[in-house]
Amino acid sequence: MSRTLVTLVVAGSLAASAAVLSGQAPQRPDFTGVWTNYVEPGAARGGGPGRGGGPPLPLTEEAQKKVAAYRGLIGTSGDTPGGHCLGTGMPGSMLGSGGYPMEILQRPEQINITYEAHNEVRRVYLGDRIVPMADRVPGRNGHSSARWEGDTLVVETTHLVEQVEQRYAHSDQAKIVERYSLSTDSRGTKVLTAEMTLTDPVFYTKPVTDTKKWAFVPNGHLLPYECAEEGWRIHLEELEKKANTRKESK
Amino acid sequence: MKQLVSLVGALALVVTLLGSTASAHHSAVQYDFGKTATITGVVVKFQAINPHMRLTLRVTDEKGTREVELEGHSTNNMYRAGYRDGLIKVGDKITVNVAPLRDGTEGGYMVAAVTASGTRFGVQSAAERAREQQKAEGK
Repeated sequence: MSRTLVTLVVAGSLAASAAVLSGQAPQRPDFTGVWTNYVEPGAARGGGPGRGGGPPLPLTEEAQKKVAAYRGLIGTSGDTPGGHCLGTGMPGSMLGSGGYPMEILQRPEQINITYEAHNEVRRVYLGDRIVPMADRVPGRNGHSSARWEGDTLVVETTHLVEQVEQRYAHSDQAKIVERYSLSTDSRGTKVLTAEMTLTDPVFYTKPVTDTKKWAFVPNGHLLPYECAEEGWRIHLEELEKKANTRKESK
Repeated sequence: MKQLVSLVGALALVVTLLGSTASAHHSAVQYDFGKTATITGVVVKFQAINPHMRLTLRVTDEKGTREVELEGHSTNNMYRAGYRDGLIKVGDKITVNVAPLRDGTEGGYMVAAVTASGTRFGVQSAAERAREQQKAEGK
């Protein structure tokens, strides 16, 4: 071992020891910022098979019946939760949220993810911020807790409500694990990759997986998104029409 | 134009996933996104809101004068396709590209507009893309 190499090894060990002694938290990747849907180099935008494609999902018989009943109910109406100003819910939110961007704000003990569509928010807790099991409130995005495995953030989401309208329909027993990691592509774009595994013994005969990639938007901003504003204005217009009709009839 | 093209795929996805208006609770399936119609008129009402812009135009042509109600992409997506606050005002004469209603009723889903000042914003329709592709290939 050369003298230079020995010197570097010793210096590195000392630095690591000093960090431990001083109580410094390990340096983690920072996901903070605005992210938009990633397009692979050379791929056409919007040219893929879409989220509705792919092989059939390994749904249980019970799940198949529930999904078929839901699809029969909406028929060809094109109805979606979003059409009624409802957020996408997991895992749809993390898999694209309707094509809109998302913003991540990261602190050591909590990471907030805001999806622009419907201002949908996920709060991912770490360490002491993780809510005890008995105190968690079920919801469309569930409860998310996380831990670091090296440079990978592992997010586990439970306490979901049943959502048959999802691309990955699931029961309230579903557990979703996301593994987030950073990379840089051949164009120099910072890429955030989320590898998802959904486990649900009620709806699936085996775990299902998917991968979502996001591209960093330098100095990006989310825009306001008040979905219910249109409905409110239409309601006011209807009130105005009724008021005018009453006036005319007097 | 590059900016417009780059948003087409994303917006098509948005229309598919997010559906349509809040109060009316209808869906974008009533529009034919494979076709494009052009409507020119004077702005009677314009609302830059989500999930869909709303526009009423007073149209005058050989059929006479009437008001045509339109909806369109979300303000957020139009913003990313060039729309900015104040570009459309009541009284302006503008031209819009719409995906027409499948049942033939007058109206449609606004995908792009040329404002009174000549500013264009929005996205190309599938039909426009196909025409440009054919032109580029010399067909």
